[in-house]
Amino acid sequence: MTTTGESRGRRALAALAGMARGSARPPTPAQLDSGLAALRSRLNAGPAQRSAGRSSIMRWSLVGTLAATAALVAMGVVRSGPSRLPAPSELPALTYRVEGGNLGDGGYLQESGRGGIKLFFSEGTEFILKPGTRSRLRAVDASGARIAIEHGAASFLVTPAPATDRRWQVDVGPFLVTVKGTVFTVSWDAATETFDLKLRHGSVTVRGPATGGEIALRAGQRLLINLPQGETVISEQKPDEWIDAPAGPAARAAAPPAERPSAASDRPAALAGKSAPTSRAGKLDPARLDNDRRWTGALAAGHLDRILAEAEQAGLRATLDRASSDDLLALADAARYRRRMDLARDALLAERRRFPASPRSLDGAFRLGRVEEASDRGLARAIEWYDEYLTRAPTGTYASEALGRKMTLMSKLGGPSRARPFAEEYLRRFPGGTYAGPARAFVRAP
Amino acid sequence: MPVSLVVAPDPGDTSDRELARALMAGSPWAIAETWNRFAPAVIMFATRTLGSESEAEDVAQEVFHRVFVKARTLRAPERLRSFIFSFAIRLLKTELRRRKTRAWLSFQRPETLVDLGGELMDMESRDLLRRFYALLDRLAPRHRLVFALRHLESMTVDEIAAHMELSISTVKRALERATSKLTIWIEADPGLAGFLDEKGFLR
Repeated sequence: MTTTGESRGRRALAALAGMARGSARPPTPAQLDSGLAALRSRLNAGPAQRSAGRSSIMRWSLVGTLAATAALVAMGVVRSGPSRLPAPSELPALTYRVEGGNLGDGGYLQESGRGGIKLFFSEGTEFILKPGTRSRLRAVDASGARIAIEHGAASFLVTPAPATDRRWQVDVGPFLVTVKGTVFTVSWDAATETFDLKLRHGSVTVRGPATGGEIALRAGQRLLINLPQGETVISEQKPDEWIDAPAGPAARAAAPPAERPSAASDRPAALAGKSAPTSRAGKLDPARLDNDRRWTGALAAGHLDRILAEAEQAGLRATLDRASSDDLLALADAARYRRRMDLARDALLAERRRFPASPRSLDGAFRLGRVEEASDRGLARAIEWYDEYLTRAPTGTYASEALGRKMTLMSKLGGPSRARPFAEEYLRRFPGGTYAGPARAFVRAP
Repeated sequence: MPVSLVVAPDPGDTSDRELARALMAGSPWAIAETWNRFAPAVIMFATRTLGSESEAEDVAQEVFHRVFVKARTLRAPERLRSFIFSFAIRLLKTELRRRKTRAWLSFQRPETLVDLGGELMDMESRDLLRRFYALLDRLAPRHRLVFALRHLESMTVDEIAAHMELSISTVKRALERATSKLTIWIEADPGLAGFLDEKGFLR
C-alpha cells in the first residue's frame, strides 16, 4: 500500500468513525421511563433475572455449547433460553420453540412466510404474532420472558402459575404491559400511535405515555390509547368481541371461573364508581405542577400543543417558578419546536436559575444558543451561550456541536477568516466530527 | 411544640458524590436519579460500540442492575461515573466476545445488524455505517473496544488503560493494530473509500 493510499484509508476510517460517533441518538424521555420501570421490576424481582440473549452461551462450557449447537441444528428452528443463575424459587428453565420464523441478531423475530410467527414456551405459554408484526424477543429466563412489539399485533396466552414468580412483559411501542396468567391481544400502530389491548382473561397492568401512572385492567376490558389525540379509553368488551384472542390450551388454563368479568369488586380502584367507557384523557390538574416529569412523556409522544396549552392554563409564571427540571426542559423543547422562542428562552433560563448545579443546567446553555440562533436577538448572543457551555463543559455531550455552531456563526458574522481559528481548534479536538468538513473548508479558504 | 421544616434536596441538584452516598444508603430516589443522570450516556456509548440501539438498551439494563446491586462496594463516592462506566466497559467486552463466539459457532456469518441513526440518516449513510460495523465485527473484542473508546468516545489512552485495567503500552498496541487492520480492510473494500470520497468526506 502506498503512502497516499494509506493516508486515504486513514482518512476514510476517521470519516467513518466520525459518522458512527454522530449517529447515536440520546434516548427519549419515554425510553428512559420505560427503561427505569423495567429496571425497577428486575430489582424488585430479585437477583436472578437476566437477559436471555447474552445469558446463554458464556456460561456453557465449550463442549456443552458445541453439543447444544449440534442439537439445535438437528432440530431446525428450536432454541432454548436457559437461565444463567438459578431462580429464587428454583423454577425450571424456560425453553421455547419458534414456528413460522426464526430468531435473528438482536433477538429480532424474522418471519419466514406470511402466516405470522408463533412462540411456544415449555410451560404452555404461547405468543402468536400476526403477519407483518415487527418484534424482538428481549429476554427469556427461568423467571419469565420479555418481548417487544415495535409494530403490529399479537395475542398472548400466558399460563397462570400462581405458585411461581414468573413475570411476562410486553413492550408495545412506548408502553409496557406486565402480565401474569392472562389471555389478551395487543396491537401498536406506529404510524397512528395507537395502542389497543383487549383482555380476555386474567389481569395486566399497562404503563406508558398518557397512562398517568399504571393502569390495571381486569378480564373483559379493552384499553385504547390514541397518543396524538391524548385519549385513553377503557371500555367493557362483549364476549363476541373476543374473536382476536385464540382459545388454545393455555387460554383454557388461564380462564379460571373466578376471573370472569362480573363482580364490581374486581374493578381497579382507578375505575371504581365509574361507568364504562371511561375516558382518562384531558388536562392534567394544574395543582400537580410540582409533580416531576409530567411533560416528558407528552413531549416524546409529540404533544407539543398540549404541553404549551397546559403551561398557559396553569400560568406561565407559576409554571416557570414551580415546574420540575424535566418539565422545564420539555416545555422549552415544545416551545422551540413551535417557534415560540421567547417562551423557550424563559423556560431554559428558569432551569438554569432554579437548578444551577444540575448537569441539565449546562445543557441548557447549549440549548439557549440554539434558541438565540433561531430568534431575532442575533447571533452574538448565541455565541455567548456556546462559549459558556464550552467553558463549563469542555468535554460535555454537546462540546463538538457547540464548537461547530460557534465556528459557523463566526463565519456568518465575519467570513471564513474569522472562523478559521475555531475551525483549526475543531479539527484538533474533533477530527472526525460532524463539522469536520466545513472546518477543513474554512482552514483551506484564502 | 417546636416544628422544624426539613426540605428534601432536589435530586437533580445533588452532586455525584451525594448521589453515590444516597445510593449506598439505599435511598429510593437515588435509583431514579442515577438512571436519569447516567443512562443516556451509557446507552449512547453502548450504541456506538455495538452499532445497535436495541442491544444498547439491554446492555444499559444490565449495567445499572449490577451498579445498583453492587452500589455498597463503591469505595470512592466521587467516582460514581467512573464506577458505572467500568461496569459498562466490562459488559460490552463480554457482549463483543459473545458475538464472536456466536459468529464462530454459526455456519454462516450473520449479517451485521446496525440500527442506529434512525430517520436522521439517509439510506446511503446507514449503508456506510453497516459496512463500517461489519469491519469492526472482524476485530478482536479487545481491539474493537479500545478503538471504540478512543475514536468513538474520544477517551485518552490513559483513560482507556485505567478503565480497561491494561497497561498504556498494551492499549497503544491494540489501538495501532485495530487502526491498521481497519485501514487495510477499508482500502480493500472497493466501494467504501470511493463512496466516502463522493460524499466529500475525504476532501
